[in-house]
Amino acid sequence: MGLEQYKGDMDMCCRCSACKFIPMQKVKGLQYANACPSIAKYNFHAYSGGGRLNIGAAMLKDGMKYTDKLLDIVYNCQMCGACGVSCNYAMDMEVLEPISEFRIQCVADGKTNPALDKVIGNLRKQGSMVPGAKSQRGAWAAGLNVKDAAKEKVDVLYHVGCLTSFDKNMQKMARATVKILQKAGVNFGIFGNAETCCGGRAYQMGYPEDFLAQARKNMAMIKKAGVKTVVTGCADGYQAFKVLYDRFNLKGDLKVLHISEYIDILIRDGKLKPRRKVNMAVTYHDPCRLGRLGESWVHWEGKKIPGDRFVYDPPKPYRRGTNGVYEPPRDVLKAIPGLKLAEMTRIKEYSWCCGAGGGVSESNPDFARWTAQDRIEEAVSTGAGAIVTACPWCEKTFIEAIKDSGSNMKVYDIVEIVEKAI
Amino acid sequence: MIAKEKLVKAVGAGNVSYDEAVLDEYASDISFVNSVRPVCVVQPRNTAAVHKLVKLANDTQTPLVPISSGPPHFRGDTVPGTGGAVIVNMGGMKKIINVDRARRVAMIEPGVTYGELIPAAEKEGIRLNMPLLPRKSKTVVGSMLEREPVIMPKYQWDISDPLACIEVIFGSGDEFRTGQAAGPGTVKEQWAVGGIQKAPYGPGVASWHRLIQGSQGTMGIVTWASMRCEILPGLEEPFVVGSSNLETLLEMTSWLIRLRMVNECFILNNTNLAAIFARKWPKDYQAIKDALPTWTLFYNLAGYEYYPEERISSYITDITEITQRLGVEAVKAVGEVSANEILKAVQQPSAEPYWKLRYKGACEDIYLLTIHDKLEGLIGVMNDQADKAGYASSDLGIYIQPIVQGTGYHCEFNLFYDPDNPSERYRVKGLSAAAIKNLAAHGAFFSRPYGESAGMILNRDAATVAILNKLKGMFDPNNVMNPGKICF
Amino acid sequence: MALKKEVYKEFESVVGEENICDDPAIMPSYYNTEFAAVILPGNTAEVQAVVKLCNKHKLMFRPICTGWSGMFPKDIILLDLRRMNHIIEINEKNMYAVVEPYVISSQLQAELFKRGLNFCIKGAGTNCSAMLRGHGHMDQTTSGDDRNHLAIEWITPAGDIVRSGALGSTDDWFCGDGPGPSLRSILTSAVPPGVTPGVFTKAAVKLYHWPGPSAYSLQGVSPHYSLSEIPPNMMARYYSFPSVEKMWQAELAIGEAEISFELMGFNISMVAANITTSNEEEEETFNRLNKEVQGPGFFVIIAGNSAADFAYKKKVLEKIVSDASGKSLKAVEDPRIEGILMAQCTRISASIRETFRNGGAFNSIPIMGQRDLTIKWAIGAGKAKEPLIEKGLIVDDGGAFFGWGVEQGHLGKTEIFCKFDPQNAEAKAAVEEWQKAQNRRAFEERYFASTMGPQDKIGPALCNYDKWWSKLVKSIDPNGVSPEGGSLV
Repeated sequence: MGLEQYKGDMDMCCRCSACKFIPMQKVKGLQYANACPSIAKYNFHAYSGGGRLNIGAAMLKDGMKYTDKLLDIVYNCQMCGACGVSCNYAMDMEVLEPISEFRIQCVADGKTNPALDKVIGNLRKQGSMVPGAKSQRGAWAAGLNVKDAAKEKVDVLYHVGCLTSFDKNMQKMARATVKILQKAGVNFGIFGNAETCCGGRAYQMGYPEDFLAQARKNMAMIKKAGVKTVVTGCADGYQAFKVLYDRFNLKGDLKVLHISEYIDILIRDGKLKPRRKVNMAVTYHDPCRLGRLGESWVHWEGKKIPGDRFVYDPPKPYRRGTNGVYEPPRDVLKAIPGLKLAEMTRIKEYSWCCGAGGGVSESNPDFARWTAQDRIEEAVSTGAGAIVTACPWCEKTFIEAIKDSGSNMKVYDIVEIVEKAI
Repeated sequence: MIAKEKLVKAVGAGNVSYDEAVLDEYASDISFVNSVRPVCVVQPRNTAAVHKLVKLANDTQTPLVPISSGPPHFRGDTVPGTGGAVIVNMGGMKKIINVDRARRVAMIEPGVTYGELIPAAEKEGIRLNMPLLPRKSKTVVGSMLEREPVIMPKYQWDISDPLACIEVIFGSGDEFRTGQAAGPGTVKEQWAVGGIQKAPYGPGVASWHRLIQGSQGTMGIVTWASMRCEILPGLEEPFVVGSSNLETLLEMTSWLIRLRMVNECFILNNTNLAAIFARKWPKDYQAIKDALPTWTLFYNLAGYEYYPEERISSYITDITEITQRLGVEAVKAVGEVSANEILKAVQQPSAEPYWKLRYKGACEDIYLLTIHDKLEGLIGVMNDQADKAGYASSDLGIYIQPIVQGTGYHCEFNLFYDPDNPSERYRVKGLSAAAIKNLAAHGAFFSRPYGESAGMILNRDAATVAILNKLKGMFDPNNVMNPGKICF
Repeated sequence: MALKKEVYKEFESVVGEENICDDPAIMPSYYNTEFAAVILPGNTAEVQAVVKLCNKHKLMFRPICTGWSGMFPKDIILLDLRRMNHIIEINEKNMYAVVEPYVISSQLQAELFKRGLNFCIKGAGTNCSAMLRGHGHMDQTTSGDDRNHLAIEWITPAGDIVRSGALGSTDDWFCGDGPGPSLRSILTSAVPPGVTPGVFTKAAVKLYHWPGPSAYSLQGVSPHYSLSEIPPNMMARYYSFPSVEKMWQAELAIGEAEISFELMGFNISMVAANITTSNEEEEETFNRLNKEVQGPGFFVIIAGNSAADFAYKKKVLEKIVSDASGKSLKAVEDPRIEGILMAQCTRISASIRETFRNGGAFNSIPIMGQRDLTIKWAIGAGKAKEPLIEKGLIVDDGGAFFGWGVEQGHLGKTEIFCKFDPQNAEAKAAVEEWQKAQNRRAFEERYFASTMGPQDKIGPALCNYDKWWSKLVKSIDPNGVSPEGGSLV
């Protein structure tokens, strides 16, 4: 059982509640101290990271005992990893991994969520996490003169992602990205209609086999096309290519960059010069899978050393969110003349999730919107007029929350801001 | 009623008195409570005697009224609330059990006065956090059990300070030691291993000493108490700040205490300051009073073992920033009263006659606890009440003592009057009752309810009274301990 | 045992469907105990209504805040106070704050820092309730135990609302005592086995001046937070001494001189734990630092209210340390490490790294009270750890203990613990035996009596306090609905 390998970690949970909050020294007051949307909304300890570990430990010992409540707990988790960052400030133990394994176990036992089954069904048919025919995946690029990476030699593959490809509101991000890359003179291409889902969200949702199927498809296409670098504007895609593919030994030498990282490089190399003033007061939202969950996978194998400490031989390097992509998007924003950046309280490795992860945007849209609403309020509190992020799933969820609340806050992808400035 | 021979057997023949003159002394006090004569006065000399007394009281349903301080009494709590009572005068137990410099603690029996303990403590290099100018006959244990405010708020971390541990014989007859003193082992066994009786909390989760404090002898009889002491300063520099604007002085006081810069710290109005320092009446008093500002803040800076001059000097620098910001000046004298005089006076009990009695022979105290924002308003209410009753508010003595490191204020009104003048007495009695009622209605907290107003005060908080009654039922099931006091 | 449907519905009608749950799925996260239900009340009125229902149906209940520690019987109603998370008031002039149970210390402290104020955060960590009774690293300045509570709002086991002190008479939070005897005598939260029955729904806590910054200037990414600068007029150091006696001499002098904002008698193992970000790094650092210290020591933070005040305190500190032959640990003189410890000890309270990271468990003997006496006892308890260390059953911390002064050394706290892997049955048994033996020695040699020991022995040795407590509990809990045990941590 996948969960078995995390027995020690789950047993280590001492129920300190740190996982519910952002790191203690980062708390700025009564407000915006919560890190975990799940327990912030549902309040029972079972919904916290630690609570999930307690449940995992018990059920590993006594067998899985499925109830509607258990499934409610399992599926109302954005798998955002904030619990792990807070925990791992002090503790050496896995947090998100056992939570993920528990989800995978539920799916394997047939205890799925119908909404997520539907999404996966579509994935299997159309290679996409959102509704849309395969044959229309590349339609957004009409008239933009973008190279087909499968047919022409390119230095960079721009992996657009499902939501950006199919969602009418998000397609502008793809177009903005194309404009930016063309302006910078990058030799890039897309797979167009042949592009298929990275599989990342399928893994989050608890469907590892579907993820692997997608991963293999993607890597086959990439290998065939001879692509050495993939750039994506979707944080889920970024994490899939960079972290998950590597984890399952599929990535090879492929270099993976988020568009914000790439733009940062292009600006530093002088290939992109944001000269036009963009007079805006903005705040930046760190997507979970670009930030804390976007740090590289660390291949490690070892055994617990028997004795008084929870230590391994060789020593186990924990991924604590330290090496996520935090500065490049900020550096990009700082390079834009006229733009004023005000930080929220919950940022970087302890950023508050937008609400969309873990399949929640599909399985419980109300919860996703509730989570996003909290974020929008936090953004408003900075005095900013716009929230900038780097993932279409974040943007979509924010837009829906703003619509519900009637707030004046604007939402931009980082590429939209850059597009304005070049 | 306890038979005489049993009393004699319990405490010793020389320690029982049925003398009418003596009984009359205990039948009333300076307060306005009804006069109730006790049937006798006993003076136990040790804990075993107290044990026996309490058992006898339970056997015969005889009320016991414990006291420790000598007269004159002011609060009415030492006057029996019912007939047939026995006064248990603990004033005969006068041992200073220990004074410990290293652990800054002293342990004393109930009869020890401030005048007796202060030099004993000084000899060891420590000093007491004491109330303002207690009378000569006031005992240290008595004061601490009453939760009297102390003049060094910096060193009052908790309202129970400076009290540490106590040994008490409950009304049930059970012996109990609170805090660290509870055990394991006897006090002597604890000493043998290096223990002293200082940590006040416990045993267990309760802090039992808090139940005895403020109980006016209704829970049991204390046979010794320990108290935390502070180090004697090596250097002291007192100051006064005069002003007609109380708010300014309160603002300054709050910062002095918040920054922990001052030891003794309190505010007196001109009436009280004059009453304390006048030698001749009424000329001297009037002259001093006329030369004083309405309000005087007194504070003392202290240095200890390490570079005391530098410590005081840095405090003076920092305080000057505060005074400049507030537009006042810290000086060495106000009118004819010097800061040094005040310091010298307040580090001792009051000289005789007791300062509150010098002016007119009697004094009715009204005191309450409140917060910064309410204080001036309450003083206004009191002034109105006084004027209404024909007692000139300008004759009111007012003493403001920050308590518990600045979390609140003890505000005390001293109503001086001639006890031999029936109309003055009558006026003050009426004023006292009306004022307490009005002050309570305006949000004054009477945490130490005495006399006839106690019922009205306690009626405001039925829920607390319900719990107190349960506690009373436990510790004094036969209600022999000072019945008729508080809500019992 | 499941609640009857109609009883469940009664509770549900008070708190709402989403705030009550009896599904077995949630129970592993609640101490792996089968509670009759877990209920999330939102305010005092809901707590009162729930407690009254418990009395009506003769159901036992216990409350928790963040709920880090707990021992509860099964089949009771567990009140998870998470929804009661408001700061009611911060009164700067009168130096108190009023909180509900689930405001964590970190939240309250952050609000206080903005106002130049601070309060007693507990050793359990700022991830725990701000409302707790307890003691922590800053006790020199911020006191501890039950001495920081002012007024308390309490739902009795019978379902009555009692507001202590001024709160009950004049709606003021500044005083929890009176009229007459103080109910703070019995209103206290503490670690098991005894806590005040009923539920605290609000409490006022004392505040203290904070000379430090309105917020620390943190830099770095977790787990490598450090300060970009040491705040003005603040300094942190670790001093070791050639003997316990010298250390105590310095500790006492520092208290009497009133110069330390914080004095934390860390042993070097705890220093290593706090400044490192993994178990391996901790072990290496401990081994290295252990060679640099000459004996037991403590960590000190001084904080001046002004430059002059800081200069004075620094001068006195250096003199006291020098007089006691103390040596400053070079590692902590490095501003990066100095800043980590400073922030850790004032803003987090350090606890998790130094207690749970190693093995996931530790058993400790904490004693509040007289510092010199408990140090004397702890030396022996530390020696008794050595055989366990040699056998590899507990983490090697040199057999150390730790502690600190409280209220400028008037009171104190000493604690000694063993860190171990709770899955290792031999280690667990050995640690429990060590705990029993040392508690027994403390009792027999008259140092102190841990009230976590067997009550039939401890009670009589401590003036039968347990009988009085038991009587009290019975009188305020006539239906027996608020059992002993549990905690509000």
